[in-house]
Amino acid sequence: MSEMCVDNPLVLMKDIVKVFPDGTIALRGVNFELCKGEIHGLLGENGAGKTTLMKILAGLLKPTRGEVIVKGRKVKFRSPADALRFGIGIVMQGLSLVPVFTAYENIVLGSRGTKPSREFVEKLMKEVGLIVPLDAVVENLSFGVRQKVEILKMLALNVDILILDEPTTNLSPSEIRELFKSLKKLREEGKSIVFITHKIREVLEVTDRVTVLRKGRVMGSVETSKTNPRELAKMMVGRDVELLIEKPPWRPNGVALIVDELEVMGDLGVPAVKGVSFSVNYGEIFGVAGVEGNGQIELAEALAGIRKPLRGRIVMNGDDITKLDVSERYNRGLAYIPEDRKVALIMEFSVLENTPLTEISYNKELVNRMGFMKIKRIVEKSMGIIKQYGVVTPSIYAPARSLSGGNQQKLVVGRELMKDPRVIIAVQPTRGLDVAATEYVRNLLVKMRSSGKAVILISSDLDEILGLSDRFAVMYNGRFMGILEPDKVTDEELGLMMGGYTYEEIKARKV
Amino acid sequence: MVNSRFTEYLVYIGNVALAILIGLALGALIIWLGGYDPVKAYTGLFETSFNPSDYYYFATTLSYATPVIFTGLTFAISSRAGIFNIGAEGQMYMGALGAVIVASMNLPSPLILPMALITGTLMGALWGLIAGLFRALRNVNEVVATIMLNWIAFWIIEYARNYGLGDPRRQEKTISMPVEGRLPLLVKNTELSMAFVIALIVAILVYIFMWRTKIGYYIRVLGAGVKTAKYAGIDPRIITLYVFIIGGALSGLGGALEICGRPPTYAITTAASNIAGFGFTGISVSLLGLNHPILIIPASVIIGGLLAGSRGMQIKAKVPLEMVMAVQGLIIIALSVPGFTFVYRRWRIKKALRGGGSA
Repeated sequence: MSEMCVDNPLVLMKDIVKVFPDGTIALRGVNFELCKGEIHGLLGENGAGKTTLMKILAGLLKPTRGEVIVKGRKVKFRSPADALRFGIGIVMQGLSLVPVFTAYENIVLGSRGTKPSREFVEKLMKEVGLIVPLDAVVENLSFGVRQKVEILKMLALNVDILILDEPTTNLSPSEIRELFKSLKKLREEGKSIVFITHKIREVLEVTDRVTVLRKGRVMGSVETSKTNPRELAKMMVGRDVELLIEKPPWRPNGVALIVDELEVMGDLGVPAVKGVSFSVNYGEIFGVAGVEGNGQIELAEALAGIRKPLRGRIVMNGDDITKLDVSERYNRGLAYIPEDRKVALIMEFSVLENTPLTEISYNKELVNRMGFMKIKRIVEKSMGIIKQYGVVTPSIYAPARSLSGGNQQKLVVGRELMKDPRVIIAVQPTRGLDVAATEYVRNLLVKMRSSGKAVILISSDLDEILGLSDRFAVMYNGRFMGILEPDKVTDEELGLMMGGYTYEEIKARKV
Repeated sequence: MVNSRFTEYLVYIGNVALAILIGLALGALIIWLGGYDPVKAYTGLFETSFNPSDYYYFATTLSYATPVIFTGLTFAISSRAGIFNIGAEGQMYMGALGAVIVASMNLPSPLILPMALITGTLMGALWGLIAGLFRALRNVNEVVATIMLNWIAFWIIEYARNYGLGDPRRQEKTISMPVEGRLPLLVKNTELSMAFVIALIVAILVYIFMWRTKIGYYIRVLGAGVKTAKYAGIDPRIITLYVFIIGGALSGLGGALEICGRPPTYAITTAASNIAGFGFTGISVSLLGLNHPILIIPASVIIGGLLAGSRGMQIKAKVPLEMVMAVQGLIIIALSVPGFTFVYRRWRIKKALRGGGSA
């Protein structure tokens, strides 16, 4: 793969391995090269290692092994400042601008030596065709313009190797078009750009070459003009192993939940869920797959009542619950296992004190008429959870933080299931767990489903979704790309949906 | 593992002892630099606060511990909810004002005391509620709001003393609580009244409230973070209001008790001089007591001793009042450091746990 560039490659990364302190292997020997004056797509799903690889190039991380050669020189960056000296700059996903500063102030903020003058920045803007209102305060600017300010900031630092991490998240279609125009202009100016994304369409639209990563390995590096969405999708997604989970036959038994044209606002003031409709039956696991950050969390929070929807309806068990608050939804049989255990548990509280967290608001049996907690009742409940779900803890009085991750999750799952819910929402329920705990939690979810409960499983672990779900949807950019059954879908179709193509488009052979 | 919390507290007590020594040493340095005798000064301090041979002084210490138990509880409850209510000062002023208003009303004698305490409590609660509403509804920073409300309360009581509620015969104070409205003294010829007992009972009640009732549980859940609170089905705004109302009520009651239970004036004096500062000292008391209602009691006695002993320092070593105040402030700051680091460390651990796992 080395004769790709006409001249010597601008950046050459050889056999890069990255092992994180917690033992996670993010990169398993990755080769990557960037030519001068190209836009290079770096495609992959969560955990593929795209961002890790580029953080190494930008000096934010050090590789465990491997060699980085920039402009013909072997380098070992110790900080982003080192990388900047070689003209390498990264624009991270979470925008890093100072919201109360003006665009100009932000652009010149990181510069060393003399502050670039206004004239210099204005000239720069004209040269590269990125025009932003320099005197506007950043928090009043749209995300598209902020993205441009970030790029200008890098250019003002003399960056000629620009790394953009998922730059189109939160941008509107017209803003994306503008951004792409700017990137092409920058390429004409001789800049080289790495474009990190999971969106196949965007890769095809804007890049010259694309490298696909999957689980820390390079699956291929091809010229964009010589590839097609299906090939890229196939490289991006692959089933590792068929999950072996004993699952009794699927017996849907009446509609548990109907979601109709749901729209939900994200934290940044841009809609995160953009009109999603589906229904879930009792006795069924409904999976929601997709690369993280495509609106899954917002969807789960809207279902639980934590986030108010902008539009749409949620019907549970025949009743419209759209306007009900969280505790009333819990009261009617909804249980929610959030993604973050630090939200689901209070680490400073004991196991006992964590027990009534999601139940005390509605269960009158836990509180007497004077508002006192019935400690005896809660102790019994706590003991019950520990026993039934095999939570390993010295006692119910031990703080939750002293439990292992697996036992913390068992405590959360056990607590929620002990409420005997009808509808269970589980978000990334096995993330960070060891094999045994993972299997335990998965089996529990299957057991719940087989005992007639409705389970909504939101996960970016494709194997988990395919192994557990009876039906599932792929979520992309706030929408469902299709609702399917796991054994009736190919990897290629999955990859295409995760990369932004609807199932109808794929079936109609429009891709 | 089981004993980790116990050893943690042992280490903490060691830290407190160390802080006392450091505080005293720094104070001694200042006294010495000012040209006075630190040994004499500290002898005076201890003789007039924890003197074993004369109970009068210890009674005085406890009388100073009383108001700062209340203001300490105000701060502790808000801290537990992750809120920084430093408005105990103003809430206490309003409570005292409430008692003075009742004192001015010529009520039938059995009604005076209960009415004074109730009015004081309610006015303190109202003062807390204002900051609470700002925070809950408009997300106004509670530190800014409570500091401004402290000053507003200060000028309201100054206004009241000058116009309407002033003592017609003695300009430097408001109307005094009539004898029927005063709390009995615990020890004759001292400043220690039943108010101290009420403070102890209230501290225990707050403990029970925080650890045994649903609302108390909610308050502590809110302290773990808004996300967790929402997940638990709690409306953070409503709990925030509870925190400010209850906190304000406690400081208000503390203020009313200063009027009903503290000789010699049983009134508010010029520039609130007899109640000013208790609100802020309460923050130190709460930090020293690890924001725990029961631990606040011993913490209040230590700090009460400092407040009481300042007079002794003045008299025995002729250290001027200003320097006494400076030394006292220094020791209080030194004392609240271990509590602060302890609370801060726990907060850091919590935060680290929350932020962990990102790659």
